[in-house]
Amino acid sequence: MNTMIINGRVEPLPEDPDALLIDVVRDQLGLTGTKLVCGGGVCGACTVLVDGVPIASCLMPARAAAGKSVTTVEGIGAQELHPVQKAFMAHDALQCGFCTPGFILEAAAFCDRWRAAKGTAVPSREEIGAALSGHLCRCGAYDAIFRAVADACAGRFDGGHFASPRIEARDKVTGAARYTVDIRHDGQLEGVILRSRDAHARITVLDLAPARALDGVTAVSLLSDDRIVRYVGEPIAAVAAKDRKTALAALAAIKPTSEPLPAVIGLDAARKDDAPVVFDRASRKRAGNVSEAAGGPAPWKRNVRGPTSVFARRAKRARNWVDEARQASNSLLVEGTFRTGTQQHACLEPHAAVARFDGEELTVHASSQWVVHLKEQIAKRFKLDPARVRVIADHVGGGFGSKASIGAETIAAVELARAANAPVRVVYDRHEELSVAGYRPAAEVKVALLPSDRGELKALSVTAHADTGAATNSTIAGLARLMYPAEAKDLRDFDVISNLPPGAAFRGPGGPPMAFAVEQAVDEAALRLAVDPIALRKRWDPDPNRQRLYDWALSLDTWRNRTSAGSGRYRRGVGVATGYWLYLWQPKVKVEVAVKGGRIVASTATQDIGTGTRSVLADTVAREFDLEADEVEVRIGDSSLPEGPGSGGSRVTASVLPPTLTAIQKLKAALLEQATRKPAPGSNAPWRELIARSADIAISETRGEDGKNTAPGIRSPLKDLGLLGVVFGWMMRRNSNIVIGAGVPSSVQVIEVEVDAWLGHVRVLKVHTGIAVGKIAAPPLAHSQACGAVIQGLGYALYEAREVDPLSGDVLTAGMEDYRIPGIADTPEIDVHFDEAGFDHVLGNSVGLGEVATVPTSPAVANAIFNAIGVRLAEIPIRPDRIVAALKGRTAA
Amino acid sequence: MNASSAISAGSAPEFRAAGTDLSERRRSGVSRGPIVDLPVTSGTIGIDWAADGSARIGAFTTIAAIASDVRIQDAYPGIAAAAQGLATPQIRHLATLGGNLAQRSRCWYFRNPQIGCLKKGGSDCPARSGNHLYHAAFDLGPCVAPHPSTMAMALLVYDATITTDRRSRLSLPDFVGDGTNGAADHALEPGEKIEAISLPAPLASERACYQRAISRSYAEWPLVEVCARAVVSGGIFQHVRIAAGGVAPVPLRLTACQVALEGKPANAEVIAQAAQLATSGARPLPMTGYKLELLVGLVRDVVERIAK
Repeated sequence: MNTMIINGRVEPLPEDPDALLIDVVRDQLGLTGTKLVCGGGVCGACTVLVDGVPIASCLMPARAAAGKSVTTVEGIGAQELHPVQKAFMAHDALQCGFCTPGFILEAAAFCDRWRAAKGTAVPSREEIGAALSGHLCRCGAYDAIFRAVADACAGRFDGGHFASPRIEARDKVTGAARYTVDIRHDGQLEGVILRSRDAHARITVLDLAPARALDGVTAVSLLSDDRIVRYVGEPIAAVAAKDRKTALAALAAIKPTSEPLPAVIGLDAARKDDAPVVFDRASRKRAGNVSEAAGGPAPWKRNVRGPTSVFARRAKRARNWVDEARQASNSLLVEGTFRTGTQQHACLEPHAAVARFDGEELTVHASSQWVVHLKEQIAKRFKLDPARVRVIADHVGGGFGSKASIGAETIAAVELARAANAPVRVVYDRHEELSVAGYRPAAEVKVALLPSDRGELKALSVTAHADTGAATNSTIAGLARLMYPAEAKDLRDFDVISNLPPGAAFRGPGGPPMAFAVEQAVDEAALRLAVDPIALRKRWDPDPNRQRLYDWALSLDTWRNRTSAGSGRYRRGVGVATGYWLYLWQPKVKVEVAVKGGRIVASTATQDIGTGTRSVLADTVAREFDLEADEVEVRIGDSSLPEGPGSGGSRVTASVLPPTLTAIQKLKAALLEQATRKPAPGSNAPWRELIARSADIAISETRGEDGKNTAPGIRSPLKDLGLLGVVFGWMMRRNSNIVIGAGVPSSVQVIEVEVDAWLGHVRVLKVHTGIAVGKIAAPPLAHSQACGAVIQGLGYALYEAREVDPLSGDVLTAGMEDYRIPGIADTPEIDVHFDEAGFDHVLGNSVGLGEVATVPTSPAVANAIFNAIGVRLAEIPIRPDRIVAALKGRTAA
Repeated sequence: MNASSAISAGSAPEFRAAGTDLSERRRSGVSRGPIVDLPVTSGTIGIDWAADGSARIGAFTTIAAIASDVRIQDAYPGIAAAAQGLATPQIRHLATLGGNLAQRSRCWYFRNPQIGCLKKGGSDCPARSGNHLYHAAFDLGPCVAPHPSTMAMALLVYDATITTDRRSRLSLPDFVGDGTNGAADHALEPGEKIEAISLPAPLASERACYQRAISRSYAEWPLVEVCARAVVSGGIFQHVRIAAGGVAPVPLRLTACQVALEGKPANAEVIAQAAQLATSGARPLPMTGYKLELLVGLVRDVVERIAK
């Protein structure tokens, strides 16, 4: 038998020629720090060292490791942390942590090589970027990774003294952090899902007997009661067996008979009058939801749902003025049609669930953004007592909106676990993750923007058609209401439903496509009015938070030194754009702050998807009690804890901080009251002493309402909507458990690019991101979030697009080589500016930033490209094919 | 019947070197037949140099070893740069030269186990009538997927020959075919194995360059890639060899560009005019016209670097 040495131990290798090294590492040896993500050698998450050299273990046959020495992340810091691990912790070079083990191994190998050859010289950004070019991080931690690797190479982390702003960082750099995909119960089966090959069909016969006839195989139907599948990949059945290979073989034994129905693929085809209808009237409730909140009523004709235009104001007047201006050939009227691409969440940890029944008790480990909601959904769907359902999500490898509600992975895992009477794990493969796990819908956004003769904004018309697949409830145009007040606004949103997988909420749903269109139109208006584009925004956009950000942007050298379009091969340009998001918080959120066994413990049923929620809680408690953050135990990621918020709508910080602060004050009072002995006078750690000596006390507090006293100009955005706003706010609170608070989280970005006119390549040189979200609760983590939001926005602007087959509806970009997310070398210099005013009426003074920080990136890039080449790119992603086409069109014209 | 189609029919084993291409197809189910691990022998790994300065690279030599070999960098800089530019570091450490040459198409229809195509025994090319954003701009055959091998394109520029267990001095054009066989990615016979690649001795003071056009900075299959070599003597181009990848079912020799540069002054104007000829014979698909713009720009870029 062949063997390898792994982390110093001799281990046998399997005979199976198809066994890959990662299978042995993860499944046979349980070394789950090594992650399987793309399965194609693209992302680097599975990297291990073989004889000291980083390789892709998802591609290396296990038998090729015979006689070799393998090191996994568990082996690299086993004795003492590697300087690279310490540097990643100290610089917060990680967020969700799922890519981190791969980065650590590659960076450690690079650092060791570098040190051996060059001592403590500092490698350049280019050298680090090239060395780590085989790794992808969806959270976008690259900015800190550059700094971490440079400092580790320079020898700044050879010693033992360093601190990490993220309390779970050590678990993430050593591979100890356990994600849902790493859970393994005794007797656990592996579940896989049979999916539709047709874009539209009725399943007439589904016979599970051939699968069930196989030894140890359980099969269940996942068909809906109308037996209709509406997209390629819609679940039909699920199978569980002892391992994935056996389960896939059983799946292949099921041969459903289907009756094809006429299908229609994509936005343009689906809105034709003669297009086949995806949802008839009776089946409309089956459509998915692409927003963070529940939708209201809307007209729905064939495949087009809409318009929803509740945010319009004097819409007819706006239309009339625009028509008149067009007929009069008013040169100030800016009109354009913009198109945005379909953006996949591409979470590195795929959708995954592990379900286990213990008698009547159901425990589900799930890669979830909202454990409480998932628990409720599971209880409802399976008719279980909610008190006997528990959802656990210790670590979540990214979500970005796609893991906010129950999905087929959870449904299949629970169904199969019940039928098999055994624990079952269901993990999406990369093809599933990049095709049926949700996406930000593509959109066509038509804008007409009419300045008055005096240079004020007179009318704004935005009509958006979103390519929502088998889902509805897109709001893009409507979001143009809460900025740039105009005399009249005509804002209309349409969903265009087709036989494609359903879209889902994605980081600021509707915000980036709205901004991509409107912010380019404002830029064009500035050009025609011969006004500085930031100065025009300052004139048209009175929001006090953004007014301060405009002043900051105007002062930037990058902005002041910009020039007009060039003509050589490399052309530089600078662009600006604005974005906002709503300040949302979740009522009824409870946080318990307690002393347990002489330690302080903060608990709430929220989850950390990489945003830093654990650390925000730990930091807040530690600061109030003069402790170190690691002295605070934070319990989250468990639905059995006091009800916490979902990680969506940038609501977590604003929902958990106020009750945490109130609970802390009450706990302090209780500690003082019951203390038999006061702390020694002059003690520099009075609370530490009191806590250590205290009996157990628990204080649980609920999120209260915000104060009424706001700074000038700060008020609830709903107030501007009058009675409608009151009704809308009430519905949001009642149906979606979300409150829209006063004040508007805002961001302004100034971006510099360089366009290669020969090769169509856009290099982003510098990003300034100014963000107003109140006081920053955990500055290093907020910085990480702000950078990550920019990087994801750059992906949206330049690289990312789902491509489908126009006839079959197959998603073609279902691998990481074809669905292109930004890499480390694509990361520009990022300057983060936090303006901390504006939210003093919120207890804790902080609101969330995850969404607002990504909204303006794509229009700022497009405006910068216009500044560089003199051509406006109306469609994203702005790939090389689009740049060369735009330049060719300009030359021809 | 060639090796590849035999495999999809399940009648012959598929060969595996490092497996960086095959493992992904095994996982997805595109490859389901038996596999045979090729044995590494002393004659099929490493780089040997003859007295005349020519090199012989064993088929099992890794891409990383070729990229980092100082003597290869000196004698065949286009080969070293091509090796350095492909895939990711973790793949280059595993992947072999022979495997790179014999790898299968990256077409997103071919890679989907649920979709039939010419390369999987089917009767038509779904990309042609479907979404072919990243496909050929020189429509030379029934399958419109671009040839996947960067190394084959670079070796073509160097007039390299391939030694197999059955024949020697197989030219690159003979190895890749002319693109009319949509079922195959190469023209090896069933069971035929690549053993080594022979490179003629470099010319005195020849220069070379390799570049790819991609949307990001690294780690992306090329939209277009170009390798060129030439001697610039007394300011005049001589012995010009240029090839392009990513644009046709086979690596393409850009003969018209070569002719336009040969014997001409190495200046920007000559280069710009010659680069325009790179599209001679192109027949883009509805979605791939942009590749011709990129091809012209990339030839210009690469030849200018050589002329400097």
